Amino acid sequence: MELNKQSINRDEVIIVAEHLVKTFPGPVLALDDFSIRVKRGEVLVVIGPSGSGKSTLLRCLNGLEAIDSGTIVIDAIPLDHHESNRLAIRREVGMVFQSFNLFPHLSVLENINLAQCLVRKKSKPEATRTTRELLAKVGLGEKIDSYPDELSGGQQQRVAIARALALRPKVMLFDEATSALDPEMIGEVLEVMRTLAEEGMTMVVVTHEMGFAREVSDRVVLMEAGRLVEEGATEQFFLQPVQERTREFLRQIL
Amino acid sequence: MRTRSAVFIQIRDLLGFGLTIAAAVLLILRGSEQLGYNWHWRQVPRYFYTLIDGQFLPGPLLKGLALTLEITAISLVLAGVLGLMTALLRLSSSLIGRGLARFYLESIRNTPLLVQLFFLYFVMAPIFDIGRTATAVLALSLFEGAYASEIFRAGIESIGRGQWEACHSLGLSRAQTYGRVILPQALRRILPPLTSQAVSLIKDSALVSTIAVYDLTMEGRTIIAETFLTFEIWLVVAALYLGLTLTLSVLANGLERRYPRIA
Ligand SMILES: Nc1ncnc2c1ncn2[C@@H]1O[C@H](COP(=O)(O)OP(=O)(O)OP(=O)(O)O)[C@@H](O)[C@H]1O
Ligand SMILES: [Mg+2]
Repeated sequence: MELNKQSINRDEVIIVAEHLVKTFPGPVLALDDFSIRVKRGEVLVVIGPSGSGKSTLLRCLNGLEAIDSGTIVIDAIPLDHHESNRLAIRREVGMVFQSFNLFPHLSVLENINLAQCLVRKKSKPEATRTTRELLAKVGLGEKIDSYPDELSGGQQQRVAIARALALRPKVMLFDEATSALDPEMIGEVLEVMRTLAEEGMTMVVVTHEMGFAREVSDRVVLMEAGRLVEEGATEQFFLQPVQERTREFLRQIL
Repeated sequence: MRTRSAVFIQIRDLLGFGLTIAAAVLLILRGSEQLGYNWHWRQVPRYFYTLIDGQFLPGPLLKGLALTLEITAISLVLAGVLGLMTALLRLSSSLIGRGLARFYLESIRNTPLLVQLFFLYFVMAPIFDIGRTATAVLALSLFEGAYASEIFRAGIESIGRGQWEACHSLGLSRAQTYGRVILPQALRRILPPLTSQAVSLIKDSALVSTIAVYDLTMEGRTIIAETFLTFEIWLVVAALYLGLTLTLSVLANGLERRYPRIA
């Protein structure tokens, strides 16, 4: 599980998204010829004003929304009309939602075991071993038999992260994972995400936590109205943004 | 711990209930007296069972009760399966599936059960050579299944989009998503309306007496025709139905209490 960041070939591209177009009835152009590449082990932070298409981008990347046109290839698997490819991508891409979306009728153990057993076809003891490992990692070892409604928001989100990790995904998508949390719980979730990043997980993170973005990410993308305004290496993006719009946006949120 | 006042309220309610029942019984007794009705309660037990040389022989009332139980139990299962399948069809992406489900629902819900029963009994049964009891089961299942399917559908639709999306991102198939995540939560939520539908099924089952199926109601009618124990037998028959439906409600209540997760 421990990946050494240095050992990863940092030039290998794992996510290729090109000329993505996504419209919603209205019509709303949520993605407007949007292209992005993410390298293996890279942490990409996506920022932008409300309604700029950040969630839509993540949802398209794992097939939750179908794109109107464009191409998405993840770990050499094209997200096309082949059901087997779509399924493969859903398995290789983990997603963490703002609203956790844990299964309320299942215990923490069952939440994390479920997909391991059904999707990875693991035996129950085998899955449980992985679950214990992951819970220890997110600092919730003692909550294994709890139910979601017995946990705080921060704890629920950490369980949700463990649940996504249990499938050993190649890419993790985070859509405002801390936005629904009380301020005192944000830190514990960001800490788990930071650890993941340090271990070399490829991550696409939509967040308003600029401190986290600056510290953890390799690259930042600013979106607006479904388009890419600016992208750059983190330091450069925050210190010397090229676009006037980026400077304005950063002034507003920093 | 219950407080004193809670106990007091319960006792008061119980007393009130008892008094109301007593008043109702009194009214019936007075009314029947005025009609000059002669009560013959001692003749009633023999229609439940008789003991001949110490051997237990079930009477018509017990036999009728058994058949009613059998018919409703089978219909309950069939209606459940039919209802769930119809709900899934209606929610599927298949145009034909959705159309089929709609056709079934509309035709069942917009015609009287009695007419459906007669249609099956006089038209379909002779053509397909279906027995009387089977016809009764079929009619009840088709009828209650249509209503059950609406309950299932509402339950499934009440589960938030987030649950579907979590399953999707975990790579679960549609069947796995339904079977392990959506339905367990939906079923828990729809247990109360599903129970009242089951109660309706028990009550509606009395209609099968119209196609000469010897259920509880039919046996009651037959006994009355022979003995004129009209008041006694109808009271007993009603009490038996009440017993059945109350038992079902208690069972459902227990089930609800056993799975308290998710309100
Ligand atoms: N299911 C949908 N149906 C219709 N319109 C949608 C749908 N989902 C998103 N949109 C629209 O698409 C645009 C992009 O939405 P999206 O949720 O991706 O924005 P966002 O950048 O994530 O915003 P926020 O920061 O508020 O989460 C918005 O105008 C939104 O109203
Ligand atoms: Mg969003």
